Parts: sequence; C-alpha cells; structure tokens
Amino acid sequence: MSDRLTITFEGRKVGAHPGQSLGAALAASGELALRQTAGGDCRGMFCGMGVCQDCLVTVDGAPNQRACMVKAADGMVVRRQAAPGETPPARMGAAPILFENLQTVTADVLVIGGGAGGLSAALAARSCGLDVLLLDERQTEGGQYYKQPSAALKAEPLDRQQRDGAALRQRCEGAGVRIIDGAETFAALDAGSVMATHAGRTAVYRARAMVIATGAYERAVPIPGWTLPGVMTTGALQTLWRSHRALPGHRILIAGNGPLNLQVACEVMAAGADVVAVAEAAALFAPARAGAALRMALHDPSLTAAGLALMARARRGGASLRFGQVARAISAVKGGLEVELGSATGGHGERFVVDVVALGYGFQPSNELLRALGARHDHDPGIRALRTVRTRECETTVPNLFAVGDACGLGGALAALEEGEIAGLAIAERLGARSPAGVSTNAAHRRLEGHRRFQAALWRLYDAPSPGLSLADDATLICRCEEVSKAALLAAMADGEPSIGAVKRRTRAGMGRCQGRYCGPLIAAHLAEETGRPLDERALFAPRAPVKPVTISDLVGGSPP
Amino acid sequence: MSGFDVLVAGGGIVGMTAAFDLAREGRSVIIVDEGRHSGTTANAGSLHIQMQSRFIRMYPEQVADLERSLPLYPAGAAHWRALEAELGVDLEIKSSGGLMVADDAEQFAFLADKCARERRLGLDVHMLERAELARIAPYLGDAVHGAELCVEEGKLNPLKANEAIRMTLQALGVQRLDEAVITALSPAGHGIEARLSHRGGQRSLSAGQVILAAGSGTGQLAAMLGVAIPTVAEPLHVNVTEATAPLIGHLVQHAERMITMKQLGAGQVVIGGGWPARFTGPEEFPTVNPASMIGNLSLAQHIVPRLGSLRVIRTWAGVNTTTDGQCVLGKLPGHDNVFSAVPGDAGYTLGPLVGRMAAALAMGRDPGHDIARFTPARFAKPG
Ligand SMILES: Cc1cc2nc3c(=O)[nH]c(=O)nc-3n(C[C@H](O)[C@H](O)[C@H](O)COP(=O)(O)OP(=O)(O)OC[C@H]3O[C@@H](n4cnc5c(N)ncnc54)[C@H](O)[C@@H]3O)c2cc1C
Ligand SMILES: Cc1cc2nc3c(=O)[nH]c(=O)nc-3n(C[C@H](O)[C@H](O)[C@H](O)COP(=O)(O)OP(=O)(O)OC[C@H]3O[C@@H](n4cnc5c(N)ncnc54)[C@H](O)[C@@H]3O)c2cc1C
Ligand code: FES
Repeated sequence: MSDRLTITFEGRKVGAHPGQSLGAALAASGELALRQTAGGDCRGMFCGMGVCQDCLVTVDGAPNQRACMVKAADGMVVRRQAAPGETPPARMGAAPILFENLQTVTADVLVIGGGAGGLSAALAARSCGLDVLLLDERQTEGGQYYKQPSAALKAEPLDRQQRDGAALRQRCEGAGVRIIDGAETFAALDAGSVMATHAGRTAVYRARAMVIATGAYERAVPIPGWTLPGVMTTGALQTLWRSHRALPGHRILIAGNGPLNLQVACEVMAAGADVVAVAEAAALFAPARAGAALRMALHDPSLTAAGLALMARARRGGASLRFGQVARAISAVKGGLEVELGSATGGHGERFVVDVVALGYGFQPSNELLRALGARHDHDPGIRALRTVRTRECETTVPNLFAVGDACGLGGALAALEEGEIAGLAIAERLGARSPAGVSTNAAHRRLEGHRRFQAALWRLYDAPSPGLSLADDATLICRCEEVSKAALLAAMADGEPSIGAVKRRTRAGMGRCQGRYCGPLIAAHLAEETGRPLDERALFAPRAPVKPVTISDLVGGSPP
Repeated sequence: MSGFDVLVAGGGIVGMTAAFDLAREGRSVIIVDEGRHSGTTANAGSLHIQMQSRFIRMYPEQVADLERSLPLYPAGAAHWRALEAELGVDLEIKSSGGLMVADDAEQFAFLADKCARERRLGLDVHMLERAELARIAPYLGDAVHGAELCVEEGKLNPLKANEAIRMTLQALGVQRLDEAVITALSPAGHGIEARLSHRGGQRSLSAGQVILAAGSGTGQLAAMLGVAIPTVAEPLHVNVTEATAPLIGHLVQHAERMITMKQLGAGQVVIGGGWPARFTGPEEFPTVNPASMIGNLSLAQHIVPRLGSLRVIRTWAGVNTTTDGQCVLGKLPGHDNVFSAVPGDAGYTLGPLVGRMAAALAMGRDPGHDIARFTPARFAKPG
C-alpha cells in the first residue's frame, strides 16, 4: 500500500492511506464515534456504503459529509458533527436556472449502476455496436460483489473476486463503454432518461433504452444497542477491509442471517482480526435442511464446497459458530461492546465483549428508480421484499426500461452477470443493432437458471423467521435518523389502521436523511401483519426524487461551463 | 339508519376544525374522508398574510378580490394561536415575520406599491432597503436588493397541528371514516342522506346537516346536489433540506418568482411556493416533479446562497385547491342544511378560521366576519 498522509480529527493527528475513505482511516485508528444526534447519542459508520447517513462529519468547515464516502486528503481537518450541524459556509449566489437549462447528454443505452449486473449489461450492448453510457455513484465502481479498492490505494487484489471485477471493468473500458464514476442518479424522468449530479453539476441523461442495475443495501434488524458506534452491518465491515484495507477493531462478533456473515468472518480473520463468534439465526445443520443443502450441492458443487470450507476455516481461526442464535442486545461497557447472544424467541445466552459488532440480515433491493417510473413490483415472501416484474429478457412493465441484478430481487452476483448480458443483448435487438457472430442468449439463460436454482436452495438452507421488530425493546430506536422508538411507533401504528404515510406524519419515522431505507420496510411489514393489507408497493414509502440526498449547489449547478 | 347531527365531508384542516367546534357544543359529528387528494397532510406550514405575488401574477383579474379578502388573513393567523391554546399543545407557531424579497429597483417598486395598499388595509408591513435588510436577515445573498416585511407572518408545524387536532377529535368522540368515497348526496326528510363506498363495501349515513369541506373534491359533492362550485385540484411540489443550525429566521418569498422558504424548529429548511407536481396512474396520485426541484431550489440558492451546501433529502407532493382566489363559505343555494367551507388561497392559514365559521353557520350563529361575498351562490349560472 501507498504512503501515508495525515488528517486531523478533533484536534488529533490521524494517519491515512491515499484512496482510503475518511471513515476507514478513522476506524483504523480507533475513532468510531462520529456524529452526535439531536437526542445526544453518538453514532458511527453503520452501512459503510453511503446509505445510512450516520457517519456525518464536518470536513474543513463543510458539514454533512459522509465519512464513509469522502476520500481522505492530506491536511483535512475533520470534526464530529453535532445535530443539527454547523451553519453552512458562505458562498457565491448564482442566477436561477430552470430544468430546461440543464445540459443533456445522450446515448443509445443508459446503464445506472456499475456492479456485476450493470457492467455486464453495458458490455453486452456495447459489443453490438451501441453507444453505452454507464453512471455509478461511487468513485470506484464494481459494486458490492467486486468491491474494487480505490486505485490510489495501490492495493493488490485480495482474491479472484476482486481480480474478476478489475478485468470486467477493463473489458468495458476497452470496448468503449463510456463510464462516468461519481455520478449520482437522483431522479428518473421516464423510461430512457434520468437526472444525475457529477462533479458539481447536474445533467439530464437520455437514451433509447435504460438498464437499472442499482443493486441492494442491507436490511435492518433493530436490537437494543444497534445504534452504538462500533455496531455496523456486515457489509460495512467487509467494505472497510476489501475496499479500504482498514479494520475497525480487533475483536469482532458477527451475527445475523445469510451466507455473507461467514464469508466476511473469514475475510477479516485473514486480515488479522480476532472473530470471537459468528451467530447464524438459521439452524443450518438441522436435519430438515438436508434437502436444501443437497440441492445446492447438486446445482453448484464448487460453491457448496466453498461454503463448507468457509465454516471450517472460521472454526480453525478460533471463531465460535453458533447456529440458531442471534445477537439479542448490545451495550457499551468498559473496554468495548458487550453482546448477548441467544435464541430469537427468547432466553438469555452467552455474552462476549468485543470492539466491533457486525449485523448482517440479508439485503433490500434498491428499486427506488424503478418504482418511481411506475414499473410494477410484487411482494415476494421468499426474499421478503419487492421483486420487479420482468420479462424473460429482463424488461420491466415499462417498455424499454430494463432491470438487472439485486435491484430487482436479490439473485446474487453470478445471476446479475447473466441478467446483464441477457438485457444488453435484448436491448441491442430492440434497437436494431447487430450482435457479434455466434452470440446467443441461450447459454446465458441456461447458466442463469442454474444460479437461480442454487440461490433458491441457499435461501431455503438459510431460512429463518424474520425477527422484524421483535428483538427491539420499547426504547430501541427503529428510525435511526429521526430517533423514533419502538414504543412510539407501535402506539402510532395501533391507532386506527393508518397508512404508512400517516405513520410517517404522526411520528416523523422515515423523514430523515436515509429517507426511510431502514425503518420503512419494518413499518410496512408490521402494518401489513396488523391490518391484513397486502405488502405491496403501496405499503412502502412512496419512491420520490431525490432517491439519494443531493447537495443543492450540485443540483442547480447545471448550465454548461 | 344511523343518524348524526352533522356529517362533515372532508377531514382536512377545515373539516377537522369545524368538527371540533360542533363536537364541543354537543353535536354528534362524523367525518367522511376519501383520503386521496389533500392539502392539509402536505402543506408547508407557512402562515401567510401579505398578498402572495404568485397569485397576483397568475390571476391579475382576481387582485381586487384578493384585497377584499386580505383582512381575513391576520384574523386566520391569530385564530391559529387561539386554537393552540384550546388544544393545549405546542404547535410551534412563530410570528417570525415574512420577507418578500426583490432583485432590483423595479421589483422593489412593485412591492412598495403593494405595501402601500396593504397598509391602507391595516397590515403591519414595511419596506426595507438593502442595508436595513442585511441587518435583520444576514443570510440573504448579494442578489437581494430589498424586501417587504410583513411583521405578523410566520409559520407553524403542520404535522404537530394535524395530529393534535386529530387526537382531540378522537377524545371528543367524533367518528371518522377514512378511505370512504361519497357516491351520492340527497335530501331525505329534514336531513341529508349520503351513500358511501368504504373499503370495498357500500353503506349509507344520514345527518341533519352536511358541511362540504372536501377541498378540491367539494365541487364534485356540490354537483350531487345540483350546485356548481368550481374547485380545481392543483398538485404542488415541496422540497426539504437536511437540518442545519438556525439560519433563516423569516418566512421568505420573492416579489416575482414562485418560492416560499422557512426553517423548521428541528433545523430543516422547507422550500416550496407553488411549483407544480403531477398526477400519476389511473388513481391520479399526486407525485413530485423532478423538474420542479431544479427551478425551485435554484431560486432558493439564488436568494440564500448558503443553502447551496445543504442537501435536499426529501420532496413531496400534495393537492391544493383553487377556486376564484376567495373562500367559498355559506349555505348551498336551495339547500338550507348544506354548507360549503373551502378556504381561499393559503388555505392552511385560513383553515381553522373557516372551519370555525362553517360550524357557526351550521349552529345558526354569527360567523363573526362579513362572509356575504364568499357565498357559493356566486357561481350559479345566471338565468
Ligand atoms: C454491502 C454489501 C455487501 C455484499 N457483499 C457480497 C459478497 O461479498 N458476495 C456476494 O456474492 N454478494 C455480496 N453482496 C450482494 C450483492 O448485492 C450482489 O452479489 C451483487 O453485487 C449484485 O450485483 P448488482 O450489479 O446487482 O449490484 P451492485 O454490485 O450492488 O452494484 C450496484 C451499483 O449501482 C450503483 N448505484 C446504486 N444506486 C445508484 C444511483 N442512484 N446512481 C448511480 N449509481 C448507483 C452502486 O454504486 C453500485 O456500484 C453484497 C451486498 C451488499 C449490499
Ligand atoms: C404542497 C402544498 C403546500 C401548501 N403550503 C401551504 C402553506 O404553507 N400555508 C398555507 O396557508 N397553505 C398551504 N397550502 C394550502 C393548504 O394546504 C390548503 O389550502 C388547505 O390544507 C385546505 O384545507 P381543506 O381542509 O380545505 O382541504 P384539504 O386539506 O384538501 O382536505 C380536503 C379533504 O377532503 C377529502 N375529500 C376530497 N374529496 C372528497 C370526497 N368526494 N368525499 C370525501 N372526502 C373528500 C380529501 O381526502 C381531504 O382529506 C399548501 C398546499 C399544498 C398542496
Ligand atoms: S456509514 Fe456512511 S452513510 Fe452509512
């Protein structure tokens, strides 16, 4: 890794590597408490991917900077941000503009999101000669599976996963896909156009067809203490290591449900962390699950073997594996965080004191742009989330709007790759472009079928009832941003049969910076259960622009230079 | 058949406050609300008093009527304070003053003229030159040339207000049917019968009197009784920023362009002022218009450049009601027991006052203001 640079945090000098995020540099030096809430609590990085907004700091006088997204630079002066944030700095005004004054950028095909799904869709469409523009909000894309480290970090790829990601990106660039990094798509206008901010300006991007490949973010399961600094999602822990080569602490406990937890346990152990325990809500080795395990092994023996090898590795590394257990509560104690494990249904279990707790309960699709455009979604109880209704070619119910990867239903990276190729080629055919000789989607469809069957078996193996709000106590915050407790929410939800919008207006839950991404699905599921109303699109918060918070000066910095 | 003293059609701010007064006086009241198009659940909480330049610009022919309605606005804002005391809940009402800013000498002159007319009508308004303005509103940018200050203007927290009234009505035993669509209204004996479809079923209700407080839906209900009230649904867009330290003290508007902005107690800045939203889908749900984000927020940053460093975190859409700029308040022609209660522009400011006046009419009392001009009879076709 490259040379160190120095930043100042609350008056203390902290070292960082070029390319690292501020959050990663701070975490590596033990600074986990970042923002202070209106209620007086401290928060730290939770999602590690720009969604939760709990890592806000003031950087060189500018408030509201996400430590997990801002790259460290030599000499930066960083401070904790206390609610409601400092007065924004003085700046020059600008003459007012209108939407019509925005610059328009056109292409044949627009791809939103540069993970496995988006890159592969872009490559396929480009291989047929189409002009393809790919926008990704991150500076270094590759998405959640490939998790590319920043080039400035000069870090060697950790494994095949990262090497494959770098290769796919290179193939896209080599083929002439126009990739715009750091372009936040904040609004969808119609099936072929979006608005995005990039380098401090907003433009309208227009194309004849569009692929939404915005991936997923992690699902919340509130438990007492889940808002403490040092408690983060499993994905955040993974990102810190894989993208930034930083560990937020030495003693780590990982708990939740799903295959990512064990994988990340092994990844951070290899990096030198002491993973004291991994709690998995599903009783994986219960005889009832043998069928699912067998089906997995049939569909993808190598992935199944890899899974078993992970368990063995985690055990060898000294992690205690607890199946059928969850983290029930976390509290701050002298020397770290005390976690209590136990069964999801009750009773007290063993306690561990650690530096970091990672909670991973699977994913939520980032389908806001699709829903805003009116693409139909159905609730899928199998993934406990909305699934985008698509044709075999991955076209949504809105003509010329395609959707691939985890954004439309949590199929995993390998499925995202195949869906991308299928969508890219289908668009080429739709637009009358010629595909290279010998390319057909039959093989991709066949592989996709296999991945889907493997995934389905994997879901069954890991199936465990969703804890929902059941592990939270009355005082546990459900809406992290607006600090709304479970008791307040339950009271609001029990009064009449309110819509989710009415619950939001009564309690302010969902009105904060994360835009209801964590509390929204929990409230929706609870209301649906109580009222018997369907858990459909209308049960969730309305998908509205901006789908991510956007800085006003970027939003209106529109006219061409 | 179940009978109520009064059926209130529409559970927005007007319907709720009318029901409040009626129930306090011992009337049995039911509120029936369709729950689709509402201004009350979406409004931005500005207490408007001075004439909004957007209406002067959009409907120049209505200016005379606007001026005649003007005295109602300070009364409406004052009534909010009275209501706050009656509810016993802090609604975060602030008379922080309202500034309408001008970019240049010409706009300043337009405002000075408006200011003089408003003073004659009894408003506490003043013109502020740049230097004086910078003293009381240092957050304004260099582009601002001067402003008109309306001392009594301000804001409140509509979320708190709506919730406080809802809870009070519940405690008073006012029934409320949500997601209920009135499909027919007809005279029956001494009262009125309403047919409803409610969550998939059909039912009917009878009441001695009916108050039509259905905002943009009022016209459709009045038509069921053969009366024309031209209410139009106007979908509007609102933006809100992340919270920041106290920055903008006043309610801020512009002399020529559509904008209202103010900072809430919790620190967020709410920016709206009449930018269009749109209706989507077969059910015509109001939804935001991304293009409105650009125009509205760009104007906000022009007036208060510091806003440029904040992020907009949410937008929403709601449905405003427009008629001819004035209240539609009074007995329906030909129906002694049906009253319309639609506030004029800035209807949240006027809402509780209009609700109270409608309740007074239903109880045969003096509404306390001269409301002859507001009669729904004004829309009747001659002949
Ligand atoms: C934190 C996390 C960790 C994960 N780790 C693993 C793992 O180790 N192994 C595994 O198999 N699976 C992992 N997954 C599951 C992962 O979702 C899929 O494996 C795979 O990455 C899906 O590919 P995708 O292309 O659909 O989405 P992603 O790879 O998530 O790519 C989506 C891309 O869209 C971009 N984007 C999103 N919204 C916008 C917007 N509004 N504007 C512009 N760009 C946008 C994002 O920056 C991102 O690069 C993880 C998921 C998460 C959320
Ligand atoms: C985005 C936005 C911001 C605003 N900001 C401000 C502001 O800052 N300050 C201000 O003073 N004013 C503001 N207004 C205007 C204000 O909100 C409205 O004028 C006011 O709320 C009107 O109240 P109401 O009770 O008459 O009607 P509404 O609030 O519209 O309520 C009418 C009710 O009737 C129901 N209904 C409709 N049709 C039927 C039917 N057929 N049967 C049964 N029920 C029916 C609806 O569901 C609704 O609940 C704003 C409006 C909007 C849209
Ligand atoms: S940790 Fe930075 S936004 Fe979630």
